[in-house]
Amino acid sequence: MPEINHKAFLFDATRCIDCRACMVACSVENKIAMDKTRIWVAGIGLKGEFPHLVRASMVYHCMHCNEPDCLSACPVGAYTKRPDGPVIYNATKCIGCRYCMNACPFGVPHFDWDKGLLEGAFIDKCTMCPQRIDKGLEPACVATCPTDALVFGERADLGKEAHARLQAHPGRYVDHVYGEFENGGTAYLILSHVPFAELGLPDVGTRPVKDVSEEVMGFTIPFALGWGALLTGTAVAVHLVNQRKAAVAAEKAEKVEQPEQAIK
Amino acid sequence: MKMHIALNKRLRISPLPLVLLALMAIAFIVAMLRYALGIGAISNLSNAYPWGFWISFDLFTGVAISSGGFLMAGAVYIFELKQFKPLLRPSILTAFLGYIMVVVALLVDLGHPERIWYMMIHMNGTSVLLEIGICVMTYLAVLAIEFAPVVFEGLKWQKFAHFIHRFIMPFVILGVVLSTLHQSSLGSLLLIQPAKLYPLWWTPILPILFFTSALTIGLSMIILESSLSSRYFKRGLEVHLLEKLAGVIPIVLGIYLIIKFGQLAFAGDLKYLFTSGLMSVMFWAEILVGAVLPLLLFSFKKVRQSPRGLFYGALVVLLGMILNRFNVSWFAVKHPDPLSYLPTFMGNVHYIPSLPEVLLSVGIFSFGILAFGLVAKYLPVFEPEENQKE
Repeated sequence: MPEINHKAFLFDATRCIDCRACMVACSVENKIAMDKTRIWVAGIGLKGEFPHLVRASMVYHCMHCNEPDCLSACPVGAYTKRPDGPVIYNATKCIGCRYCMNACPFGVPHFDWDKGLLEGAFIDKCTMCPQRIDKGLEPACVATCPTDALVFGERADLGKEAHARLQAHPGRYVDHVYGEFENGGTAYLILSHVPFAELGLPDVGTRPVKDVSEEVMGFTIPFALGWGALLTGTAVAVHLVNQRKAAVAAEKAEKVEQPEQAIK
Repeated sequence: MKMHIALNKRLRISPLPLVLLALMAIAFIVAMLRYALGIGAISNLSNAYPWGFWISFDLFTGVAISSGGFLMAGAVYIFELKQFKPLLRPSILTAFLGYIMVVVALLVDLGHPERIWYMMIHMNGTSVLLEIGICVMTYLAVLAIEFAPVVFEGLKWQKFAHFIHRFIMPFVILGVVLSTLHQSSLGSLLLIQPAKLYPLWWTPILPILFFTSALTIGLSMIILESSLSSRYFKRGLEVHLLEKLAGVIPIVLGIYLIIKFGQLAFAGDLKYLFTSGLMSVMFWAEILVGAVLPLLLFSFKKVRQSPRGLFYGALVVLLGMILNRFNVSWFAVKHPDPLSYLPTFMGNVHYIPSLPEVLLSVGIFSFGILAFGLVAKYLPVFEPEENQKE
């Protein structure tokens, strides 16, 4: 895998205490309305039989994929990916088609369902706090996390850190770093003590979901030109054949008429 | 339908147009509410289900049932099959109105309908939706040109009609190319959801399947629309032409079935055929009703030659293939389980379209039917009966 040289998050589910301070910090930093959020903590509750109880929660926000599917899907190019990681949504271009929501395998982009035409209904999602990154700060959710369940840094370093934790405590974790290769690699690496599916993470494979779609799109222009040329050729050929047929028919008709004239 | 409401002796209005107008008025109110209060206020769409009934019915079905227009234009102009000329204008009108309905529905469904033209200035070449948007917009213009001679003839502006007629070929070819592209790429629209669309439907050759099935939908739509308008306008039915179209349908359906099952076998997905519960039921409903049954029906000459056989044959194709569009774009799409990660206030966990949602689509469809009736009544859409052979 080519090394992705940008910032990333590392989330460790064993450290998360479900305090939801990250949700508050995010909403304060990004001035999100009370009934909306860009980040949410999903708890799976208690599992198992006493005394062997397992509890897990997952902090969920944009994965900032190395090859974002939302960016590929957006018809008007409202998404951009900064070289240092953040996938940014630009509301001034958005037409509100919500194809990005269909494209994202993680279900991240959200829409303003309660906004009319005048207020303007837009997509919203995590931005990785580029305004803070540019000042050398961590994103708000990471800065506020009391247990370091969320940490932030260079993706390469965090990958090493994640594998180091797996090696140091082999019994504690599921032996996998989710996001390292998933969907072409994401900027959100996840360690967990319960199966990732239980945290609500989809099984997406290592190829970005946009790949097949983009390959097929690549055929569009050549196909259109070829098909257009073929149709034009067919139209001309059919026309010529029909003309020829008509000429032959006219000739025959003439031949039939000529003897009559000779008799006259 | 025999009942007439006599406003005065000259003006007689049958109840059907009034019902259609009422449905349109309801849809208009729904649309205004949506513009004022937001999509969530009138629909059950949510972050877990960003696309729903509108996309499946208005976009996927609306585009598919409009495919008769390019089929007839191609047959008459490119292949010079002049005998199909009586079907040309009604098909182009159906397509024209069909696409207008698609665009009207999208203007309600889009979050920012006033920005729909952004597709022409901010183009993202990797987006399938962009291709569809551009194709639909351009094809709508092509259809306007293809239909313009009818309007000019109605206005007795024969010169304009002849002028357009002389330069129609490039537009016909462009129309066929655009139609091929966006009929197939409606299928490509789902390619980006390999993890969400059930494997019985997701395949890289979705565009090919979509195009093939669109051919059968277009042919069936021509048959159905001819049957209905012959009944409503009390005209003769061009059975000798429709019979030929109906003869093509089993061939295309056969090809469709071979591709469909060939693909499933090739991908190793045959195991899902009977073991996927509701998904298997939906799959077989679509295949049996939309493909197998009409393939058998239209293989009989008797069916192809009887007006009733034609009507019901075309109807089952449409029902089955429209179910296919609903399956691919809605029923078989599983978004990440919202229960496990979405905060409940962010979205409905289950999606069933709301009544206003359905009423909006019904209203737009009513507009299409009413417009077809009015245009067919006042413009030379149908050939005068005495000109027809037989």
